[in-house]
Amino acid sequence: MSVKTATPDQTLDTLGRVCPYPLLLTKKALEKLGSGQTIKVLCDAPASAEDSIPRYAEKQGYSFEAVKLDDKGYWELYIKKS
Amino acid sequence: MVSVMFFIISGLMIGAAFGFVLQRGRFCVNSAFREVLFQDYTMIRAYLLAVAVTMIGANLIEDLGWLGNSGELYRQAFVPYANVIGGFIFGMGIVLAGGCGSGILYRVGEGNLAYVLAVCGFFFGIVITKFGILRPVYDWMVAPERAVFIGADEDVVPTLYNVLGVNKWVVIAVVAAPIFYFVLKGKPFKKAKKGLSWSAAGLLVGVVAVAAFWASDYFSGRARGLSFTGPVREFFLGVFFGNSWFGGDVPAKEAMSLFGITFSWSSLYVLAVPIGAYLSGKILNEVKLKVPPADELLKVFLGGAIMGIGAQIGGGCNIGHSLTGVSTLAVSSWVANAFIILGNWTMVYFLLIRPMRDMDLAV
Repeated sequence: MSVKTATPDQTLDTLGRVCPYPLLLTKKALEKLGSGQTIKVLCDAPASAEDSIPRYAEKQGYSFEAVKLDDKGYWELYIKKS
Repeated sequence: MVSVMFFIISGLMIGAAFGFVLQRGRFCVNSAFREVLFQDYTMIRAYLLAVAVTMIGANLIEDLGWLGNSGELYRQAFVPYANVIGGFIFGMGIVLAGGCGSGILYRVGEGNLAYVLAVCGFFFGIVITKFGILRPVYDWMVAPERAVFIGADEDVVPTLYNVLGVNKWVVIAVVAAPIFYFVLKGKPFKKAKKGLSWSAAGLLVGVVAVAAFWASDYFSGRARGLSFTGPVREFFLGVFFGNSWFGGDVPAKEAMSLFGITFSWSSLYVLAVPIGAYLSGKILNEVKLKVPPADELLKVFLGGAIMGIGAQIGGGCNIGHSLTGVSTLAVSSWVANAFIILGNWTMVYFLLIRPMRDMDLAV
């Protein structure tokens, strides 16, 4: 099932933020969300978008999907809290 | 002229290779140490694998006699106050700066302006410590009478094996065996979705570090290996004043002069690390100019400066001590590395763990 949605419950902008803030802000936002809700995270730090955030989502058992926007140079990460 | 060409090309190639591998493998010693606190051991496995590979490789080429110019790996003198205090300060700085000595350089190649400021801050910190307002403190801490030597004539740099009085390879085996066990527990053969897997990154970082030991000996007469504190200083002093050793004596073998401008071999790879990272990032389509919020820019500059102060006092950064130095088994680097880790954890607690907890949120 796809996690990507046009209507996420929250959108978090971490563009330009240095490591490890994209991950920490994502964690913080997820804590506040209820289960079943989805967050969309905008992230342009490669190590966070491709490594630390997906790894965190996987460890928590949350559904995760990353969409890389090549023209814009950042990622949209969709995480659904279980 | 030919030797000058090789001098330049070899330096640039080592740097570009290192930058490429760092970007591709997202190798970051700062996160390696930090994430241990959050029970994520992926990056620390990559780091430890790199250490094991460098340690075995570097000592092997030393014993095989491949370091023809100097005959041995460069092992740093043990200056306890400087190694302990400098290491701790540096460890705190990398958390603020969002990257370590090598991390801030390669991420310049990814286009984040924050890291340009971090590198400027790093150089700023190095210069005020070595030449400026902090020089009295620095000079006191690294004064020869505060260095610890061993041996009958008290002229031998302490290493783990000569302090314990055992064969070097016994120490290497005792250190490397648990590392390989720990690495194997982390499923090192699982493929990465994109870029390099953590294990490939750790292995390649180690291979480049060993190559750097050989190349630095061959081309610059001293098996200094990879490090970033001295070389960043030498690079900028070369750019600003036309001499990497501005304000001091030029070690003839390590220097290259072209049109009256004197550069160190190591300063060349500093220049090439962001270039290698840029090439890797370009292929993966991950290069983009980015500007973080103003408060973060300030924090990153400050973090860079703290890193520079700590690294200059402590005699190295997370590569010079934590990878290269630790691999030579010099006591100085093992002590400095322990305090880099402690400094890192202290800052992570105050900057990341406590604020999160105060908001009643678990990290």
